[in-house]
Amino acid sequence: MAESMQLATRPAQPPATRGEEKVANQFLTFSLGGEVLGMEIRFIREILQYGGITEVPLTPAAVRGVMNLRGAVIPVIDLAVRFGRPSAPVDRRTCIVILEVEEGESTTVMGIVVDYVREVLDISDTEIEPPPTFGNTLRTDFIRGVGKIGRRFVLLLDVERVLSAEELASSDPAF
Amino acid sequence: MDLDKVKQTFILEARELLAAMEEALLGIEEDLNPGESINAMFRAVHTIKGSAGLFGLDPIVRFSHTVESVMDRVRSKQISLDPTLVSLLLECHDHLASLITSTQEGVEETPESHEGSQRLLNQLIPYLEGNGVIESTPVRVAAQPSGASEGGWNECWHLSIRFGPDVLRNGMDPLSFVRYLGTLGKIVHLASVVEKLPRGEDYDPETCYLGIELDLDTDADRQTIEDVFEFVREDSEIRLLPPHSKVEEYIAFIRAMPEDERFLGEILVAGGCITTKDLEEALRTQKAETLEDGVIHGRLIGTILIEDQAVPPPVVAAALDKQKKFQDRQAQEMKVVKVQADKLDRLVDLVGELVIAGASANAMAVQVHEPRLLEATTIVNKLVEEIRDNALSLRMVQIGDTFNRFRRIVRDVSQEMGKSIELELHGGDTELDKTIVEKLSDPLMHIVRNAIDHGIESLEVRRARGKPDTGSLSLNAFHDSGSIVIEVADDGGGLNKAKILKKAVERGIIREGAELSDAEITSLIFEPGFSTAEAITKLSGRGVGMDVVRQNIDELRGSIELESYEEAGTTLRIRLPLTLAIIDGFRVGIGTASYVLPLDLVIECLDLGPFLESEENHLINLRGEVLPFLRLREIFRMPGEPPTRERVVVVQYGETRAGLVVDRLMGEFQTVIKPLGNLFKQVRGVGGSTILGSGEVALILDVPQLIQLASEPSSGLRRRPATHLPPTHS
Repeated sequence: MAESMQLATRPAQPPATRGEEKVANQFLTFSLGGEVLGMEIRFIREILQYGGITEVPLTPAAVRGVMNLRGAVIPVIDLAVRFGRPSAPVDRRTCIVILEVEEGESTTVMGIVVDYVREVLDISDTEIEPPPTFGNTLRTDFIRGVGKIGRRFVLLLDVERVLSAEELASSDPAF
Repeated sequence: MDLDKVKQTFILEARELLAAMEEALLGIEEDLNPGESINAMFRAVHTIKGSAGLFGLDPIVRFSHTVESVMDRVRSKQISLDPTLVSLLLECHDHLASLITSTQEGVEETPESHEGSQRLLNQLIPYLEGNGVIESTPVRVAAQPSGASEGGWNECWHLSIRFGPDVLRNGMDPLSFVRYLGTLGKIVHLASVVEKLPRGEDYDPETCYLGIELDLDTDADRQTIEDVFEFVREDSEIRLLPPHSKVEEYIAFIRAMPEDERFLGEILVAGGCITTKDLEEALRTQKAETLEDGVIHGRLIGTILIEDQAVPPPVVAAALDKQKKFQDRQAQEMKVVKVQADKLDRLVDLVGELVIAGASANAMAVQVHEPRLLEATTIVNKLVEEIRDNALSLRMVQIGDTFNRFRRIVRDVSQEMGKSIELELHGGDTELDKTIVEKLSDPLMHIVRNAIDHGIESLEVRRARGKPDTGSLSLNAFHDSGSIVIEVADDGGGLNKAKILKKAVERGIIREGAELSDAEITSLIFEPGFSTAEAITKLSGRGVGMDVVRQNIDELRGSIELESYEEAGTTLRIRLPLTLAIIDGFRVGIGTASYVLPLDLVIECLDLGPFLESEENHLINLRGEVLPFLRLREIFRMPGEPPTRERVVVVQYGETRAGLVVDRLMGEFQTVIKPLGNLFKQVRGVGGSTILGSGEVALILDVPQLIQLASEPSSGLRRRPATHLPPTHS
């Protein structure tokens, strides 16, 4: 508990800066439903193997439940359901990524379920394109931009938007 | 230089003194023998003045000086303490408090505060008239000059100061004390004592080795002089010798000595009863006897001094008495230790973790079937339980202080409303978790103001209804079956149900012609946007009243009951849990999940089958008593089939009982409540979570909400499951 409390009070790190004009951000990339997505590493606290989730009745479908993170009870979000897709079956590579999201005054720690975690990439601001306005299966406001890595593209998520507690709580309860 | 820290102490102390002053002022009007209260007030202002002087906080010194002078005249019965003066002094109290607050913020004086001081000072001045300048407070009996010509060898106070070694490190400048003494009178003679000053490398520049002997010609009394040393008194030795001391006065003097643990002989020397020579001789005698016997029992110095006729027995007796009193006093002071609240919270958090870890160790011991290990963990758990209870009790505070604040509020508000109201307080010694008490004061304030504003009628209406002119308002706190109940009762007009209904329809809270029970009507006042006051007054009626109160109480896991009789009065009952952090839980299982019920609320457990009265109406027959029940499986829409043998947990909250049907009963255990966070705010029936010994999270059921679900299936006010669920059983 002592450890997790320390972590909880640690402010989110600002994006790493390298050099004067070329600002590079680090992104964690992961797989979800066959798609490669990324999010800024500054939100991420740790990555855990899937397990130990307690369901909470009468909550929105995107809320998978709650889990014990070293003494703190935190919500776990099913990212696939949040994106309006069916929940993926759990296998041995399924992970829970623990994130720290600031919303207004308060900081919320929560977990998201992803299929598997890939790697951490440096993507400079110059290599990030604005999100395409159509042709996406994701809500456009969930996407911060598209990162170019060689010839590949990675959809970079707007974490605060995706995990907005307000929006998550008010979505339809699971029936 | 850590002057800020010392200043914080000053601010903290000043606040406490001001609280004491307010309490005394409010008590005075009912007090038949107000002497002690007046003294307490005087002392409070006096100490604030003295301490503020140390920091050079001139605005506070100037203002409190005048207040003190007025109080002094009250004390010496030159003027009487009428209600007008009490009100004025209360205003002065408020002003002093605001001055202290701005000091804390680092602002010494603002134009507004200066104006405020000036306005109040102008009001105070008439009370000082008749004596012109009141510069000095009267000298107390102990220091009363008697026969001024006698003992003219000493017109001055003699002060002997030995600063403690840490004085510099604590951010104090010894010179500032001398400087401040200079404002009290004239320093006739001063000699510094530097014998303690070590040589060469032993010298530590941060340590204070200084002592001062000085003669002060002043009209100030002992208290004033002592207060100069307020901040160094603890580790420094300060001795005062009043002017014109005579032999009989030494007895009184010894009694009035500053509370400093010191050797009896020194008291006598400092008191001037004996000379240093006498003391030395007495000490030598004691030492010699000790040497002869080889053991240190000898004769007490007091005995030696009497037997050797160095001092008359009464003087020694007084000194001994003084020593004993000091020790008693010290023992009493040791009983209270001030601890920072966050340290306490951290401790309780850790104990919470300990409870979880203990439970998990115990579970493991049960699993491995190792009797010795099991025995060990059982002992550990028992101790943990005790530690838990103790740690939690540290956070318990009496609600009395919160209650007492309402004296002032009721006084002010009722005066403003032109109503005469008597406040009765009961159960002030009831203990509650500190966090709860803090969060309770706002809602209570709202309720009390509402009661004064809307509850208690105007004088004309009261007379017309044949009620006494003075309205009565009472605050009452008591324990009741695992929770704390706080009652606010008035003998006012009660809730007007027709008016409430009309308003609720107007505000669109309910539909026209809706059929509501009495309880449902009264509970309408807790709906957002509801306000029955026809005229919006300054005090209440902004429409943010009772719904905020309910919200606050909900956050404390409490509930509100309302009992109202038209024209006879209203009683509002707030029911709160004893603590927010840890509860004894009762675990039940449904499907694969397990849930926790607060054990305090569990009455008994039974099998559903034999007690089932009506499946359709969800009723059980408990030895003649018909209770509603609800299946958690249905409420929570859990998949799967219930087992053939379903269990019922009978729970009670307040006056209502209900049965909760579950799959399995899993026994009691201690549990730490973990909040679920904003994401789960709207989930009904779940109040929090807890971590089981296995590390899994279990949800804590919100029994009041569940009972409400079970017992009021027809109320149209609250959110509920959208559809009626078909009964699912085999």
